[in-house]
Amino acid sequence: MNIRGLGAALAVTACLLTACSSGGDGGDATSSKATEYTIWDPYPQFDDSSDWVKLLTKCGTDAGVTVKRTGYDTTDLTNKALLAAQQGNSPDVLIVDNPVVSTLAEAGVLTTTEDMKIDTTAVSPNLLAAGQQGGKTYGIPIGANTLALYYNKKVLDAAKVDPATIKDWASLTAALTKVKAAGKKGITFSAIGTEEGSFQFLPWFWGSGANLTQLDSAQGVAALTLWTDWLKNGYAPNSVLNNTQTTSWQEFAAGDFAFSENGTWQLANAKKTGFEYGIIPIPSQAGGTAPAPTGGEFVTAPVQSDTGKYPTTQKIVSCLTSADNALTTDTTLSYVAATDAVQQKQVAATPELKVWVEAVKAAKGRTSDDLGTKYPKISQPMWGAFQAALSGSKNPQQAMTDAQAAAGK
Amino acid sequence: MTSHVETLVRTRGSSRVRRARGQWAAWAFLAPVIIYLVAFYAYPLYRNLDLSLRHYTVRSFVQGDAPFSGVDNYKTVFSDPTFGPALLHTMVFTLVSIAFQFAIGLALAVFFTSHFKLSATLRALFLVPWLLPLIVSASTWSWMLNSDSGIVNYALSIFGVDQINWLTSPDWALTSVIIANIWIGIPFNLVILYSGLQGIPNDIYEAAALDGATGWQRFWRVTFPLLRPVSLITLLLGLVYTLKVFDLIWIMTKGGPTDASTTLATWSYRLSFGNLLPEFGPGAAVGNLLIIIALFFGLLYIRRQRRD
Amino acid sequence: MTKPLKTTIGVILTAIMLFPVYWMVNVSFTKDTDMRADPPHLFPFNGTLEGYRAVLDQQLPYLGTSLLIGAGTVVLTLLLSAPAGFALAKLRPRGTGALNFVLLIAQMIPGIIMAMGFYAIYLRAGVLNTVPGLILADSTIAVPFGVLIFTAFMSGIPDELINAASIDGASKFRTFRSVILPVSRNAIVTVSLFAFLWAWSDFVFATTLDGGGDYQPITLGIYHYIGNNNQQWNAIMATAVIASIPATLLLIVAQRYVAAGVTAGAVKD
Repeated sequence: MNIRGLGAALAVTACLLTACSSGGDGGDATSSKATEYTIWDPYPQFDDSSDWVKLLTKCGTDAGVTVKRTGYDTTDLTNKALLAAQQGNSPDVLIVDNPVVSTLAEAGVLTTTEDMKIDTTAVSPNLLAAGQQGGKTYGIPIGANTLALYYNKKVLDAAKVDPATIKDWASLTAALTKVKAAGKKGITFSAIGTEEGSFQFLPWFWGSGANLTQLDSAQGVAALTLWTDWLKNGYAPNSVLNNTQTTSWQEFAAGDFAFSENGTWQLANAKKTGFEYGIIPIPSQAGGTAPAPTGGEFVTAPVQSDTGKYPTTQKIVSCLTSADNALTTDTTLSYVAATDAVQQKQVAATPELKVWVEAVKAAKGRTSDDLGTKYPKISQPMWGAFQAALSGSKNPQQAMTDAQAAAGK
Repeated sequence: MTSHVETLVRTRGSSRVRRARGQWAAWAFLAPVIIYLVAFYAYPLYRNLDLSLRHYTVRSFVQGDAPFSGVDNYKTVFSDPTFGPALLHTMVFTLVSIAFQFAIGLALAVFFTSHFKLSATLRALFLVPWLLPLIVSASTWSWMLNSDSGIVNYALSIFGVDQINWLTSPDWALTSVIIANIWIGIPFNLVILYSGLQGIPNDIYEAAALDGATGWQRFWRVTFPLLRPVSLITLLLGLVYTLKVFDLIWIMTKGGPTDASTTLATWSYRLSFGNLLPEFGPGAAVGNLLIIIALFFGLLYIRRQRRD
Repeated sequence: MTKPLKTTIGVILTAIMLFPVYWMVNVSFTKDTDMRADPPHLFPFNGTLEGYRAVLDQQLPYLGTSLLIGAGTVVLTLLLSAPAGFALAKLRPRGTGALNFVLLIAQMIPGIIMAMGFYAIYLRAGVLNTVPGLILADSTIAVPFGVLIFTAFMSGIPDELINAASIDGASKFRTFRSVILPVSRNAIVTVSLFAFLWAWSDFVFATTLDGGGDYQPITLGIYHYIGNNNQQWNAIMATAVIASIPATLLLIVAQRYVAAGVTAGAVKD
């Protein structure tokens, strides 16, 4: 089919219908003197009056251009970015969830930081790793978040559990047993069959010493057995199978649960619950802090047909990730900064962030270890495995064996 | 029943306006819609077919240089262990949903044809579920069906029923999404069938009353046959729309646990959009299978229509 | 059955049907800390207006856009589908089987694929992120439906009516306008209703084709409360509640109109 001809015919039809208004933001970005730069981000919760959008506008103004910003739902943004790239309509700056960076890089949508001359030296290597593939870096983190355990002090006190004693899986499970015996609920998390569930499973998976390239190792099975036994013994509710992280937070906020596995971003909400809470790192099986996955977004610069736009794009990206601005943004998002220097400032301002800064230092990117786009092919069977085991359709060993078979294909 | 009714029933829509004269005028009436269909459906349809016949990676999707791979994507789909269950769930989901939606919709439509106080307002209120964005209505259902804090389990516990894991047990997940889908589909059936009933003129009922038909006889011998064109189209459209449903299931269960509520539509969505690394080829292939299934029923409908 | 009894049964049935809607209203007033209370709270005692405050601050412009898009979609759908329905039902040119077939296939194309196709077209035509563009896209959900519904309803109109008109020397177009359309009131209201409702609740087209627009419908407005890590459920539900009020009123009016049309004897042989 002759698509161009069809396109032209449609353009005429469309013109008739719209009196040829030129409201589109596409196709007109071919001149190097373009003064409108588009930015897409996954923060639809922020409107034009928010600090975030004000910062974007300011960074644009400083670079001598106007900024047109659009916030998309985060799950929607990947498709949107691919589709726009296919049609040559990529935004100038794209802010995406870190595991998506490798997919977009693989698709050839993103420029490297080297090409763009963006300085990434100050960024903690474990955070930057999520945006690296084949020795190249495709963006710079705007900040990071990770998972830890929130606890409800009142519930623990009633069950006579001292959170400081929780150092490994055994002591955690023992604490849950006591909580249940005291008539309260144990722990809630999100084991939903999406990337969100994998994100929540990884601290336990990695905390057992397992490796993503071998899902059905003894350690991997042990991690899944831990979750499955919690459910079987009534330490965790059945609803975790369908919980998003928000749902599991709401369960915790109702006040009956002792623990909730949740992220840095819930800090602001934690203050609103009206009960005393605390935070401990997620323990590993043998003791010590388990590596949790890094969450948070990367600022990236998609490839443009008009390379003359890059110097201005570089200015905007540098502005967004500069120390002062990163501090503002990370405070707004309730994230931990990606650089040492800013992290120290954050802790100085808010001492309770210390736990989180420690957690982020121990954290690990999902697509790190040069897994890149292999990660999604592992993550999907992995969430299939914990869904199967938790719903009782398979035992943990079987579930992980099947998952490994699917991932290895 | 005797002659009055039967003649009236038979004369309706049986003869047709002479063909030859109408040809040009007919095409003139159809022209706008035909142009519209070509302009707006041809490209997406072509694109879906093209997607399913090429080997797409994210890279070739963006660069537009995916190699032609024939029916490979279809082979991949057929040999996938998800295929069997997804097909079965699609059939169960569709048939059970439609049967209940239609029966309940028709019963309500008949009920609302008699004019009692508030009937118009109540009928309008029945449509409110349609006004809600699906993300809201589907989330509300998963809220109510939550295993631990859901209102449904709470109500059941009053009667001594144990906790049912509506959305999280492989035995119940499909049932739960079907219940929610029936709820969403009732207004559609009610509106169309109600309007269809309104199109049946009173004189036929009067004639039937003269013949001494009871209410039940009247329904089966007059209402139901006269409602046939509208019933058939309602069922067909219901089928097409139900086959397509993915967002409701996606929001409530993501097709899980372990594919227990995965239909072809949710599977297609998951392949193309539900993962960090989209697989557009197989996703489009599953989508095309759905189109073929709908076509089959469409053919049945058209044959039925011809015979009438 | 007596009429008061019917009213009672009607009210009970409606109450059952609308229970999920009540639950949505309940959640819209609930504080975060009570949302997953076990056992659940049946009434939002000790509730919050936080959700509504957020919505009234931010959502009213979206509501206006949605109404505009809904109305536009209705008009476009009727203009295209009513004449086609008449032709298919009463004039029956050769090849209508094929056309019916195409209409069916058209409805089977997944919305997201349609949206991706439109994106490419709209980008080149410069109608991306515009209201008319979105109206055009939304109408594609309703037009095939409209044609099929008009065909089904109009084939029930007795041919004598049309024959009588053509004996009077009326052209096909006049027959259509002054004979067919007036008796097709029910079909018109039905199609309008669904065209409106689909446009009102569409999300896929809105996000793909109007995601960066200055005027966006209410389904995108909800995304103010769906952040990258957290969702503000009371505000999401409150948006749905507020958005459904004008549309519900519209429905009640439309329903009365159908009823009035019928009792006035609009359909007569």
